[in-house]
Amino acid sequence: MPQPPNRSITGHRRRRTTGLRVKVGDVAARSLITLGGIGTIVAVSAVFIFLVWVAAPLFTSGRIVDRAEYANPWAAANAALPLHVAVDDHNTLGLAVTPDGRLHLFRVDTGETIEQRDLFPERNLTAASFGDRSGDVVFGFDDGSIQMGMITFETRYLDEADDDGNPLVPDDVLALDVYENLAYDGGVITRTPRNQFRHRTVNVELREPARLDTPSPVRRLSHTEYAGRTMLVSYTDDGRLLLNEVRERRNLMTGEVRIDLADRELPFTLPPGRGAPDHVAMAGLGDNIFVLWNDGRLLRYDLRDRDDPRVVEAIDLVEEEGEQLTAVGFMLGRHSLVTGDSLGRTRVWFRVAEQAAEVADAPETVDRIDGDGVRMVNAHELSGPEHGTAVTALGRSLGSRMLSVGYADGTVRLFQVTADNLVLETDTRHASDPAVARLFMSPRDDGLIAVTDAGVNVFAFDRRYPAATPTSVFLPVWYEDYPAPRHMWQSSSGQAGFEPKFGLFPLIFGTLKATFYSMLFGLPLAVLAAIYTSEFLHKKVRARIKPVIEMMASLPSVVLGFVAALVIAPVIEQVVPATLLAFAVVPLAALLGGFLWQLLPYEWHARLTPWRFPFIVVAVIAAIPIAIFGGPLVERLLFAGNLRAWLNQDAGSGVAGWFILLLPICAIATAIAFSLFVNPALRRAGVEWSRLKVALMDLAKFGVGLVVTVTLSVLLAVVITHVIGWDPRGGDFRVWGMDLSPLQSYEQRNAMIVGFVMGFAIIPIIYTISEDALNAVPDHLRSASMGAGATPWQTAMRLIVPTAMSGLFSAAMIGLGRAAGETMIVLMAAGNTPLMEMNIFNGFRTLAANIAVELPEASMGGTHYRMLFLAALTLFVITFAVNTFAEVVRLRFRKRAYQL
Amino acid sequence: MSGSTAVQPDTPSANDPPKGVPPAPVTSVGRSRRRPRAGSSLTAHGEPMVWLIGGGLAVCALMIVVLIGWIALQGFATFWPKPIVQLETTDGTMLLGEVTRSELFEPRIPPAADGDGVEADVVDAGAAVEEDALLGLATRRLIRIGNREYTGTPFRWVPSAAVETETTPEWAVLAERLEWGPFIGVPTGFRIDGEPVADDAAAAWAAFGEHHDDVVRRQTQRKQLERDDTGEVNYVLEHDRLAVRRAELDVQHAEHSHGRESEAYRQAHARFEQARATHAQTQRWAQAEFNRIRALIDELNAENARYEIVMRTADEREVAIPLGEIVRAYPANQLGFFDKVSVYGSRWWEFLTDDPREANTEGGVFPPIIGTVVMTLLMCFVVVPFGVLAALYLREYARPGPIVSAVRIAVNNLAGVPSIVFGVFGLGFFCYIVGGYIDRGPTDPTTMGPWMGALAVLIAIALVAAATTVVKLRAADQRAFGARLLGYAAVALWLLALGVCAWMFIRVPFFDGFFAARAADGSPTFGKGGVLWASLTLALLTLPVVIVATEEALAAVPSSMREGSYACGASKWQTVRRIVLPRAMPGIMTGMILAMARGAGEVAPLMLVGAVAMAPELPVDGHFPFVHMERSFMHLGFHIYDVGFQSPDSEGARPMVYTTTLLLIAIIATLNLAAFYLRTRLRRRFAESQF
Repeated sequence: MPQPPNRSITGHRRRRTTGLRVKVGDVAARSLITLGGIGTIVAVSAVFIFLVWVAAPLFTSGRIVDRAEYANPWAAANAALPLHVAVDDHNTLGLAVTPDGRLHLFRVDTGETIEQRDLFPERNLTAASFGDRSGDVVFGFDDGSIQMGMITFETRYLDEADDDGNPLVPDDVLALDVYENLAYDGGVITRTPRNQFRHRTVNVELREPARLDTPSPVRRLSHTEYAGRTMLVSYTDDGRLLLNEVRERRNLMTGEVRIDLADRELPFTLPPGRGAPDHVAMAGLGDNIFVLWNDGRLLRYDLRDRDDPRVVEAIDLVEEEGEQLTAVGFMLGRHSLVTGDSLGRTRVWFRVAEQAAEVADAPETVDRIDGDGVRMVNAHELSGPEHGTAVTALGRSLGSRMLSVGYADGTVRLFQVTADNLVLETDTRHASDPAVARLFMSPRDDGLIAVTDAGVNVFAFDRRYPAATPTSVFLPVWYEDYPAPRHMWQSSSGQAGFEPKFGLFPLIFGTLKATFYSMLFGLPLAVLAAIYTSEFLHKKVRARIKPVIEMMASLPSVVLGFVAALVIAPVIEQVVPATLLAFAVVPLAALLGGFLWQLLPYEWHARLTPWRFPFIVVAVIAAIPIAIFGGPLVERLLFAGNLRAWLNQDAGSGVAGWFILLLPICAIATAIAFSLFVNPALRRAGVEWSRLKVALMDLAKFGVGLVVTVTLSVLLAVVITHVIGWDPRGGDFRVWGMDLSPLQSYEQRNAMIVGFVMGFAIIPIIYTISEDALNAVPDHLRSASMGAGATPWQTAMRLIVPTAMSGLFSAAMIGLGRAAGETMIVLMAAGNTPLMEMNIFNGFRTLAANIAVELPEASMGGTHYRMLFLAALTLFVITFAVNTFAEVVRLRFRKRAYQL
Repeated sequence: MSGSTAVQPDTPSANDPPKGVPPAPVTSVGRSRRRPRAGSSLTAHGEPMVWLIGGGLAVCALMIVVLIGWIALQGFATFWPKPIVQLETTDGTMLLGEVTRSELFEPRIPPAADGDGVEADVVDAGAAVEEDALLGLATRRLIRIGNREYTGTPFRWVPSAAVETETTPEWAVLAERLEWGPFIGVPTGFRIDGEPVADDAAAAWAAFGEHHDDVVRRQTQRKQLERDDTGEVNYVLEHDRLAVRRAELDVQHAEHSHGRESEAYRQAHARFEQARATHAQTQRWAQAEFNRIRALIDELNAENARYEIVMRTADEREVAIPLGEIVRAYPANQLGFFDKVSVYGSRWWEFLTDDPREANTEGGVFPPIIGTVVMTLLMCFVVVPFGVLAALYLREYARPGPIVSAVRIAVNNLAGVPSIVFGVFGLGFFCYIVGGYIDRGPTDPTTMGPWMGALAVLIAIALVAAATTVVKLRAADQRAFGARLLGYAAVALWLLALGVCAWMFIRVPFFDGFFAARAADGSPTFGKGGVLWASLTLALLTLPVVIVATEEALAAVPSSMREGSYACGASKWQTVRRIVLPRAMPGIMTGMILAMARGAGEVAPLMLVGAVAMAPELPVDGHFPFVHMERSFMHLGFHIYDVGFQSPDSEGARPMVYTTTLLLIAIIATLNLAAFYLRTRLRRRFAESQF
């Protein structure tokens, strides 16, 4: 129909171009929608990047944030290098005790001397021993006397003005900025951000001197305070080694406190060719004394038997001829001994049980001595800047396992000893005489004071997260007091002086264990169920059953966890043998049902086939009472009547264990053997047999197969137990600190329960994806197969399942990812102990459960917090890899299925 | 019948016979043609193996049926009043209580340790149990004897062999109390003002019936006064206190930036003084108000305290219980069916509408229900738009390529990455970083100069970008090289603008946070777990659910309709908005409902981002802004975990766990069924509209 251009039916002018408004709307919508799509990528990468961003600083090393140098504050008094330097919590006020018995107070930031005090104007100081944080000290003098005391920092907070506005502090203090320091009134004053003035002073409290039972000068002194008792060891000039337990006696009349030193002389003779010992050190618990000479000779006294203290070990800590010990100290808690030598090595020694020590390659004992069952081992060796630069000073941290080491060339290194981590490295700036003579760490592990002959270097540093290194997180670490390096996760404990142990491996192991056992249970069930649903179930029944199983997917895992832990676990605990039996009886019952079904006449068979599933259900249900009543029988037969005792290796032998483990393998082997050798023969023989006869023969074959399987497994079990000598109940299979024995002592919340319930949780997802994969195999293949005369069974097994195999595989992978990350079930039903046992009857702790338990308590930004983020990152990476792999496989499969 | 050799799919794996499966008969084709052989066809059917496979399905189906059945049974049975039995045991103890359950046990194994809580005591029956045992198993019953303050453990295991006599006393009454759990005893009297007005069970019970309703009414009144009125006063008080703290921070700020002598400082100080004065005034008002409320409460309490029922326990202890303490009481052995129904109903009502008490082991779950609902709805507001956008992108806009693959991998991983990882992300990012920003402002603000510079740059970039976009759109040939180049330039400029915007946000110099006053007191507002962060975290988690469902719905819209729309001259967005989206609506709803179901059942991430065992306030209330997104909340799933695992009396908490579980499953099942229904309807509708 001819129509004038630009005129529409309505008579309005028709526009020829799209309006800008529509165009802009289109572009805006497109941008927004594209942003939305890309947003999912952003979300996933944001999660990943954020986890990395939080976890990555764990592996950065510390750094110096500030440093100061000044001349020795004690140089003015012509004093020698100090015996001890301490600073307060905020690194503002320092104190030093010099060998002439003077106390020097100085400002840490400038070195300005605030006060000098002669502590012992009348006596000559010859030895001193300083405790850890508490500030307890013991001084020894040339007249054989000792004096105990406390040198502590005191803090007062001063107000700017009183209520009436009268200033309480002088003007120069008022003029201070926030965090600025000023020497004031025998201490240092600082303005805090809350506008208060923090005034720190030092309080010296010396008790009455006491005398040892010798007038000879005290040369070496060491003390410890443990459980309210002070123990003291001293070496006097007359060659005696004295042990004192300090007792305080209060005179009731005068109120005067008298210190009583219960002297005991330790058996000690100077070894030939050596002078007075260079170091005498008392261990933190007061149970050991170390006597060292600079050539490396160590005598260790055991004090645990108060009446008979004796030398239990004599070893040489420096094997090399002519080399020397150049520094000796302790780690926090005075348990681990630290030695630095002229070769630049810093070694950390502690005691382990004798057997473990042999494994750990402990040094040779010099003299054969009747030991105390433990030996010193060199657990950590920290290297210097270069070989041969002697270690000249050691400074231990007062709050952690860090150790600062000073070297002859002025280098200062800060180590985290347990993780063998070099946290930071710096050096003193006194070129003329750089050797670090003394090294002290501040109470909060954020400052270092390095003293050289020329002056003082103060370093303020940020230690970052020294307890975590890439190796310490994933590889075994040698923690103090453990016989060997091992994987451990123990983030907190009630004990003081506890060292957190951040080894992720036990958690990864727990995750793998949980995944393994749940897949062991869930995967076969889900795949079998999917095959049956897709290939054998009537269409109408399928439409009913499928949503029911998918309903399982929407069951909250907290419900499953609660059911697992509070309902199933206590019940199963009572009927473990019956449960074990059920794993065998249920499949057998189904198989037997099949064999009996074959006995039906052909017409019945054909008519009843649509109703097969209900019969299968009945067969499975029928198996349950058999398992329940057979349980006690099995327990009596296999486990000597008491499963728990058997599992604890208190009763019976390992045969039953091997029997159980081998049974499935033997069953499969028997089935294969039968199909290879027996079936062809039977088939040849039975060509002319009637249907019933073949069915009966099949049943008989099944019976024979069972007998063969059982016999075979018993035989193998006996061979393994008695000939090879392995026991499945623990101890025989240790790899990498993991105990792989699958049957050990029983805990109520264990891997079997978790496997059972988490298997239940992953069944729906595996089932759905498998079923979809099987359904995606085009129907014409089925029709062709059937048309060529194959039975449904043959079609399913030889055509459908192989074609859908990659889909099934991807389903399994997705189920695996789900199991690895499941939290609530393992949190509630797994007992949550980070063990490394493959024992099916014991608990474990997974990465996910660990995060759920510990993250709410971890303080933000700390090592623990970041370690948990690392755990989450590990979990993310594992599941990301598994899921992506599964997705790629699934897409491949899909493409292939469409091509068919 | 021929053997299966006829069908050989060309997959290599098909040549390996499956393990354990007897292979089909290998008969020569020539012979088999003669007549089918019964025997060989039997093996070919592999019946036993089919049964084995079917066994797998049967086990799965049985497990789900048993599990759901068990929970439903326990959940529904819990509130049904049980008869009270009186047992005299062989060691002479008298026990009066409800039979909770009975079980078989092996006398030599110590009783099951249920959870970490208080264990039930076991009545020792000595050797009698061993004799009673059959197959090494004996029966025992768990009796709830209540009266926790007198008995210590309110449950006793009683082996059947230990029971001497068993009766059901007519007047045994179970009283549920506000504290100490249930009390079980026989009423012996009733007192008003300490004067006995009844001295036998029937009279006491009659008096109880007469006065209890009034007492409960007063109790409700008191609760209202305590919670609502006192809450109101506290709200005002807290509001004022924060104002003072804010003024104080302002003073510090003024002093820091302008010095003490400045005008700003003096003004800030004046405001501070004023706020202090107001606060003092408010405090006086609040004190008066508290006194008034206290007086009212005291009055109600005094009135309630007049009434006491005296009961005798099984161990002959006379106990007077104030009526105000009793929530509900009934003579268990006299109830008719309808009485039982009424007790049952009232217990369910209490469960659904009341607050929890006794460390969550009794009372109701109203706060968790509200918490779950609010959290889930908030989550929907976020996840549905985002999910629909992503699905639209995948189905309508994206061209196949690496980006689409990346989006698909991202979606799959959102679905597959463990929920706890999202919880960790939510805690670290939403709570600590975003929440901290809202509370205290940026940690590292820039100064005004650079920020204003950035603002200018931003405006410039945005103008140029807008101009580029418009020029590009006006180009005659959209596909010409120049136009495309302009398009890329516009995208790049917009992204740059976005980046500048983000930078300005992170370093904004004049924003000190909305809740600096509270944060300075160490109580963060948004910088901790809360319902907003929980719903954002869950939105991330449930995003794939919405995307997949929406995609499915979009795919179901026939392309002929889109083509028709284009043919009429509609633009892409017009088509999507007017044709595609309306038809996909049911699918989107399905996705939303499925996401809600998933979100309602998820617990692990919530433990980190805001679900708590006992929240002092609901996330919704009458104060502006009505929905308090920063508040911690209670959640049904977390409630199950808390009551089942953290409660001191695990046996007593069991009924609560079962009913809460039942409720949660019911909610989720309803949501799922709704989604299922919508999906079927959607399919049916499109089956009809195909053309």
